[in-house]
Amino acid sequence: MSKSEFLSLHQALKRSFQNLEQNQKLWNGMLAECSPLMVSLGNLAEQLHALQNVQLERTPLKGFPDLRERLRFKLLQAVDTVMEKLYEKMAALQAVRDAVSNQAAAVFQLYTQHADALDMATCLQRSATCPSVADMLEWLQDAERHYQWELLKRKALLQMLKPGDLAYLQTSPKRWESLSNRGRDDIITETLCRVALFRESQ
Amino acid sequence: METKQPGVVSSARKPCLTGSVRKLKNIAADLHNFIFKWERLNDEGFSIASQIVNLEISKRSEKKSHIKLDCENRVNIEHSENEAELDSDMEDGCTALLAILGKMTHLVSKMEKMSCCTKGICALHTYQEGPSGTQSLLFQTWPVTHFDDISSKLFDAYKQELALKQIVVNEIAHISDPNLSLVFLSSWLYQPYIEDINKVLLESLLLETGHRMLT
Repeated sequence: MSKSEFLSLHQALKRSFQNLEQNQKLWNGMLAECSPLMVSLGNLAEQLHALQNVQLERTPLKGFPDLRERLRFKLLQAVDTVMEKLYEKMAALQAVRDAVSNQAAAVFQLYTQHADALDMATCLQRSATCPSVADMLEWLQDAERHYQWELLKRKALLQMLKPGDLAYLQTSPKRWESLSNRGRDDIITETLCRVALFRESQ
Repeated sequence: METKQPGVVSSARKPCLTGSVRKLKNIAADLHNFIFKWERLNDEGFSIASQIVNLEISKRSEKKSHIKLDCENRVNIEHSENEAELDSDMEDGCTALLAILGKMTHLVSKMEKMSCCTKGICALHTYQEGPSGTQSLLFQTWPVTHFDDISSKLFDAYKQELALKQIVVNEIAHISDPNLSLVFLSSWLYQPYIEDINKVLLESLLLETGHRMLT
C-alpha cells in the first residue's frame, strides 16, 4: 500500500465533501427562491381562469369591449416573466448539479490513477472516525444521482407548463411542493454527518 | 452680445424659442413624476382593493353562519358584532380607495394640462416656422409635433385606465361572484390600458429632452 496515494485520495474526498456542503446550501437557497415564483404562477393561472369564466358584457365592465384581450395579454405577459425567472433558477440548479458531478468525477479519476497502489483491504478499511474509501466514493455517487434526479423532475414539471393549460398551471405550486421529498434531501445531510469527523481529522 | 443656448435660433427674423425648450423639458420631467406617483398609488390601491374583496368574502361566510345559528340568541349577537366590524372595515377600505382614485384623477387632469400645453407649443412653433415648413430642432432629433404625439398618447392611455379604475372603485365592494372579484383586482393591478409602449415613449421623451443620458 502506498501511503501518499491514500492520503491524496483522502484529501480529495475531504475537498469533495466540503464542496458538497456548499452546493447543498446553494441548492436549498435556489429551491426556496423558486417557491414564491410557483405561487405567483398559480395565482396568475387562477386570474386567467376567472377571466375566462366571466361574461364581461353582463357586468359593470361592459363599457370596455377590448378589456378581455388586453387583460389576458397582460396576465400572459406576467406568466412569461415568472417562467423566465424560473428557468434562471433552473440554470443555477443545473450549475450545482454539474459542480457535484464534476467533483465526483475528479475524485473517481484520482482513485483510478492510484487503483494499482490501493488494494481492496485498504479501500474497505474503516474506523469510528473515518469511513472507508469505498463508502465515501459511493456516497459521492449517490449525491450526484440525487441532484440529477431532483433537477430532472423539476425540469420535466416546468416543461409541462403551458399558458393554455390553466388547470395544470393552477395546480403547479402543489405539484412543485410535492417534488420536495424531505426523505431524499436527507441523504445529503446524512452523508455530511457521516463524514463530519473524517473532515475534521488531520 | 449673442449668447448661444440650446434651442435658440440665432436669426433676426425668428423669435427666441428658449422658452419652449424649457417648457418642454419641464413637461417631460412632470410627466415622469406623475407616472411615478401613479404607479405608487396603483400598488397602494391594489392592497386596499384586495382587503375589500377579502372582507366581502368574510362577510358572506358570516352571513351563512348567521342563518345557520339563528335559533341561539347569544351567538346571534356575536355574529352581528362581527358583521358590523366587517362593514366598518369595508367602509374604511372603500374610503381609502376613493381617496386614491381622487389622487389618480388629479394626476390625469395634470397630464391633460401638460398635453394641452404641448399642443400649444407645437402650434406656436408651426406658426413661427411659417409656410416653408422647415422645422428647426428644439432638442436632438425630434420635430416638435412628436412631443405633442407622445404627450397625447400618454394622456389618452392614463385617461382610459382611470375610467376603468373608476368602475373598479364603484363596484368592487358589491360583487358576489368570486371570479368577477378576481377580474376586478387583476384589472386594477395589471392596468390593461397602460401598454409597454407607453414606458418606451416616456423614456424616449426623457432621452430627447436630456433628462436621461445616452450610455
